Amino acid sequence: MTLQIQNLGRRVGKQWIVRHLNLQVDNSECVALVGPSGCGKSSTLRLIAGLDSVSEGEIILDQANVTHAPATQRAVGMVFQSYALLPHLSVKANLDLGLRVRGVRASERQQRIQAILDLVQLQDRSEVLPAQLSGGQRQRVALARALLRDPDVYLLDEPMSNLDAQLREELRPELRRLVLDRHKPVIYVTHDQHEAMAIADRIAVLHSGRIQQVATPADLYHRPETLFIAKFIGRPQINCFKPKDGAICAVRPESLFFANEGLPCKLISREWLGSSQLLYLDSPHGSLRLSCSTTMEIPETVHVSWHSSDEHHFDATTGRRLT
Amino acid sequence: MIAFLLLPALLLLLVVFVGPLFRYAWLSFHADSVVTGLIAIPNGGANWLRLVQDQRFWQDLGQTLRFSGVSVGLELILALMIALLLDQRWRGRDVVRTLTLIPWALPTTVMALGWRWIFNTPYGPIDHFTRMIGIGSLNILGDPHFTWMATVWADVWKTTPFAALILLAGLQTIPVDLYEAVRLEGGNAMVCLRRITLPLLRPYILLALLFRLAQAFGVFDLIQVLTGGGPASSTESVALYAYWNALRFLDFGYSATIIMASFILISLICVVAWILLQIIIPTHSKSQAVVEP
Ligand SMILES: Nc1ncnc2c1ncn2[C@@H]1O[C@H](COP(=O)(O)OP(=O)(O)O)[C@@H](O)[C@H]1O
Ligand SMILES: [Mg+2]
Repeated sequence: MTLQIQNLGRRVGKQWIVRHLNLQVDNSECVALVGPSGCGKSSTLRLIAGLDSVSEGEIILDQANVTHAPATQRAVGMVFQSYALLPHLSVKANLDLGLRVRGVRASERQQRIQAILDLVQLQDRSEVLPAQLSGGQRQRVALARALLRDPDVYLLDEPMSNLDAQLREELRPELRRLVLDRHKPVIYVTHDQHEAMAIADRIAVLHSGRIQQVATPADLYHRPETLFIAKFIGRPQINCFKPKDGAICAVRPESLFFANEGLPCKLISREWLGSSQLLYLDSPHGSLRLSCSTTMEIPETVHVSWHSSDEHHFDATTGRRLT
Repeated sequence: MIAFLLLPALLLLLVVFVGPLFRYAWLSFHADSVVTGLIAIPNGGANWLRLVQDQRFWQDLGQTLRFSGVSVGLELILALMIALLLDQRWRGRDVVRTLTLIPWALPTTVMALGWRWIFNTPYGPIDHFTRMIGIGSLNILGDPHFTWMATVWADVWKTTPFAALILLAGLQTIPVDLYEAVRLEGGNAMVCLRRITLPLLRPYILLALLFRLAQAFGVFDLIQVLTGGGPASSTESVALYAYWNALRFLDFGYSATIIMASFILISLICVVAWILLQIIIPTHSKSQAVVEP
């Protein structure tokens, strides 16, 4: 089972919301679709799910071209950002609806719902309404519904964005396990680069409706193809020097170190990040971010240096990687 | 504090609703007509006894119930269809939305006069039409078989937009992604209507139903202008009868009794309608969810 997207595009009026999208997601692979809000992540999922019509390109699911198949006939398991649970139905009835619509026999429905409730650990909440659940529980019901669908592809649209940071971190491995255990392609949408790095096998960075790069988290971090990605991936944010000869040099904050000679800098402020500290420095090339270990004593003025191999160079006008 | 802020509203309610109600309740146990020289004289339950034995009251009550039931039923079905249509996205929708409201915005008297002309025999367009296609003159406003239908028709025409507006407001509170989620589960339009739209619209249907039932049960101006209660009082409503007792026969005691009786009845009807709706459109299919085949 693979999902293949070829040159996919959607136009509303004169505007292309997404365009020239190429992506392949294999069995048991989780690809994160990441980008700032409004860049077209949800729109892309809706195209794959068949909720919006495709203007250009093709969607191929397990060798079948489903580009223009109606949503009801695609085997797509989607978790909506809002969870989209029916508010007037109990958890059990919410899960039951899809099975019943697809004509599953009553005894089998009962059994499968029980099994899925066990899996997402909501056995004792089966009779309550969605409004009586916590955010994390609602998310698990939405996930359970998608799992019960037994789809050919999983589409998760910011499934964690309504949860608090701690819960998000707790649920991440669980979510990954639950979904990837099904050996189906998974597209995980998030605007949080950190979450994308943590959960995905590969990351597709979307910007203004176009995919800028698809790569493993490590590759994306160490070899960003565009300046936008360099800035978007990795926190604290990469340092960019002023353009020189049509090129922009960028260096990650953790690649900077103190040296006897180098760029003379003045310490402006510092933030404690637990295992490291983040320093804001004022240099002749503009302000710099530098992260270093917490034990280090920092004088008011320092000299900062970095290895030239840690430099990233981008074209100042196109933003594309140079070397 | 809240009680204080509510005070003006409570006062108003007291003056325009509770006050007259008590006055009518009190009056319904008194003789107060030209016979008594328009002085209220207690007469025990004589008015109520007369009401129970009054053939014309029961006939009017039956006619009022028929009018309310048929016209509110038709209205809600039509309004639901119109609201569903106006909730879709299509070219020119906003114009149609506005146009839909015109019948409702017309004063009832004007509207009823219009229909009186349309239904007129032999000068109205409908009579022209039926004669033209060979059915002959139906004499709509003169034949008791048709006249009540004409009153229902005019009422449906006028008040459907109001019900549609309430239902449309309800439809717009339903998040689109619920429909999308059910579609992805394989549910078609029928499943969406039965599983999402109707249950979530229920409070709005209930609101429209109760509003309209109470209004239709008290119908007065439409019938007064369109048929005057005729022919042979076949379209007379309870409100019309109460009005005649008070202002034509100057029997205020009996009129008050009719008003009290219809108030009690409409309250009962609203409760029954509410209970019925709970049964027809259950919000919760908790217990039967998994068991039902
Ligand atoms: N039906 C539509 N008509 C016009 N513009 C739309 C429509 N749907 C989405 N858009 C636009 O497409 C862009 C991408 O939206 P979306 O996919 O929801 O972004 P996100 O990445 O935050 O999920 C937004 O700028 C949005 O305004
Ligand atoms: Mg989105």
